[in-house]
Formats: sequence, C-alpha cells, structure tokens
Amino acid sequence: MRNRWMASMFAMLAGLAFSSMALAQTAGSSGAKSAKAASRAPDLTGVWANITESSATFNPKEDPSFQSWAEAKWMANKNTDPGQPSITNGRVDLDPTVASCFPTGMPRLMTEVFPFEILQVRDRVLILFEKDYAVSHIWTDGRKLPEDPDPSYMGYSVGKWDGDTLVVDTVGLKDITWMDRRGHPHSDALHVVGRFRRINHDRLQIDWTFDDPKAFTKPWSGQTIYRYHPDWTLEEFISCEDRLLHGGESLEQKAVKGHGQ
Amino acid sequence: MKNRFMAVLLGAAVLLVLTRPIFAHHGRSNYDMTGTVTVKGIVTEFQWVNPHALILVDITGEDGKVEKWVGETNSPNTLSRQGWSRNTVKVGDQVTLVGRRVKGGGYYINFSKIVFADGKELNPAVQN
Repeated sequence: MRNRWMASMFAMLAGLAFSSMALAQTAGSSGAKSAKAASRAPDLTGVWANITESSATFNPKEDPSFQSWAEAKWMANKNTDPGQPSITNGRVDLDPTVASCFPTGMPRLMTEVFPFEILQVRDRVLILFEKDYAVSHIWTDGRKLPEDPDPSYMGYSVGKWDGDTLVVDTVGLKDITWMDRRGHPHSDALHVVGRFRRINHDRLQIDWTFDDPKAFTKPWSGQTIYRYHPDWTLEEFISCEDRLLHGGESLEQKAVKGHGQ
Repeated sequence: MKNRFMAVLLGAAVLLVLTRPIFAHHGRSNYDMTGTVTVKGIVTEFQWVNPHALILVDITGEDGKVEKWVGETNSPNTLSRQGWSRNTVKVGDQVTLVGRRVKGGGYYINFSKIVFADGKELNPAVQN
C-alpha cells in the first residue's frame, strides 16, 4: 500500500517536473525569458516619496573620504552658515541646479523631496522623476554595463534581480552635478550601486555603495527610504520657470542683489 | 490590557514620527535664519510657478508709500498635494505672511505660514 502511494507521488512529481521543463523549452527567445522574469519579479511599482531622516544626503553620519581636489570642492559647496540646521542643502549660489538651471541628474534625484514613479516593463525598470521630468532607464535584459560610456546626467544603468532585491549599477555620470542635495562632488568615474528592496507594502529601502576612484579614497555607502503613495500622480516640474519668466533671474536672486526694491 | 495600551501608544508615536513635515528642502544661505518677519498687505499677483509659488503683496504705509514684497513658498507640485491650486490666493486678498527674510534688506520672504482675512491659516510644507 505504501509503496503504491510512493510510486504514484513520484510519478506525479516527475510529471510536473517534465511538463514545466517542456514549457520552459517552448519559451525560446531571450525576450520571452525576460518577460517571464519580469512577471515573476517583485513589484516595486508605484509613486514613492523620500522620508529619509536626513534626505539631503545618502549618509548623514559621514562624508565620502575625498581626494584633496574633491575635498576642496566639498568645503566650498558645504553650507556653513551659523544657525543653519546641521543637515541641509549646499550653498544655493554654487548649486548647479539653482545657480545655473542644470539638470539634477543621478544619483542626486534620489535625495530630492519630489516623488518618483517606478514602472516595470519587459526589458527595463523605469523611474520617472517629478523633478526635471527626468527618466532613468534601468536595463534588465541581461546586458552588461558599457566599457566607456559617453557621460550623461542620468548615466547608464543596468539592473539584476537578486531574490527580492533589484541591484542597479550606474556608470557614465557627468561630473557637473552634485551627488546629493548637500553638495558632495564626484567625477565621471563614479560607479553607483543601489539595492532596491520593498521591505513592506509601503516602504522602499535602497542601500547604496558609491565608488569613485578619481574623487574618493575608498567607497562610500548610505541608505534612503521612501513611502508608497497609491493616490499620488506625478505633476509637472520645470525647475527654472520663475527665472524664464523674469528675464533670466528669479525674484529671489533679484532680491538678494537688491534689485527687488 | 496593558500590552494593547502600549501597542496603541507605540503606534501613535510611530505615526507622529512618520508624518512630520520635511524641512530643509530650500537652501537657506540667502535667508536670515535668526528670526521671523511678518508681512501683511494686499495681493497683487499669485504666480503658480516652479520651483516656488510666489505671492506678490503691496503694503501701503500711512504716508501712502507702497512697499512691494514677494513671498515665496513651496512648489505648486508640493502645494497641490496639500489641496492648494492657482486659485487659493486671489488678487485683492488681504494676507499675512510669516517667514524668513532674505539677507541684505530686500522685500522678499520665504513664508511658512499664510493667514487670510477670514482667519484661515495654511502652513505649506513638504509632507512626504
């Protein structure tokens, strides 16, 4: 009796195993494989807003270990006004997004207060940012990082699923941007690794490692947290609109220079 | 009974921490952070623009001299998530703005509180 039961269990399990193998073989092309992978991947989709304790930077406890040229830039960018909160934005007169309307770029967009939306499609994870209308394309089709990419504000990103974590590698970042709102500088050799994990339905946690052989003496790490907002949609944000409307200078800039009176 | 009470207390504490508004969105090196100023006048324009919505306010002194102030606050994106629209402030409204004044004496403040003539008060802040 027991042997017959064991035999039929074995047969059933074998049948299941063979049939799933057959299904896998008919999938064929890598496109279908990545489609299956995408449909099995954890769901990070939705609108997320930054609730990190000191959201202006990735690591409030320590700055990157800078090489001397980068340390000098950091000292200049840093906001040292007396009476300021200890963690705040860098100097607005040096901030490329404020002083000169440059795009925010990556990884700084991950430290902004404006929300972003994650979408998952067949061969990419897309991050749509409210700020600057920027989009990050994270290629999940198995491609490798490019050897020598032309630098851009958003960089070149590839992603790979590691269990419930999306591991995102980004290279090819233009060095004109600040790494974060605090004003930490970087070079075009910066390599960003972000481990994205939805730790519960309403929380996205990203663990970061930053490696910049031209600007740092060793890697820097940090963590950011985001809250899920099922009822939010992204708005439009043209960051220098006020300047465009007021002859190239915002009303604040005019007031600081004494033109507003 | 005690466990449930503690759980409710903990839950309330967690809620308080999580819903606190985020400050320090705006770089503050242009502003006098040592105190707040109050500006009360008549709205001449409400600019629903990025990165800061702007309220232009005229203050007419007893001598008839008009001071033209600008009050900036958060971006329309942030404000609309708190129920603001381009019609929340209207030309002709009498408003009181409380905030930090720009350094150097310009008629410009970054306000964190606005009070309307009917007493309604709004406190725009980033609420993620």
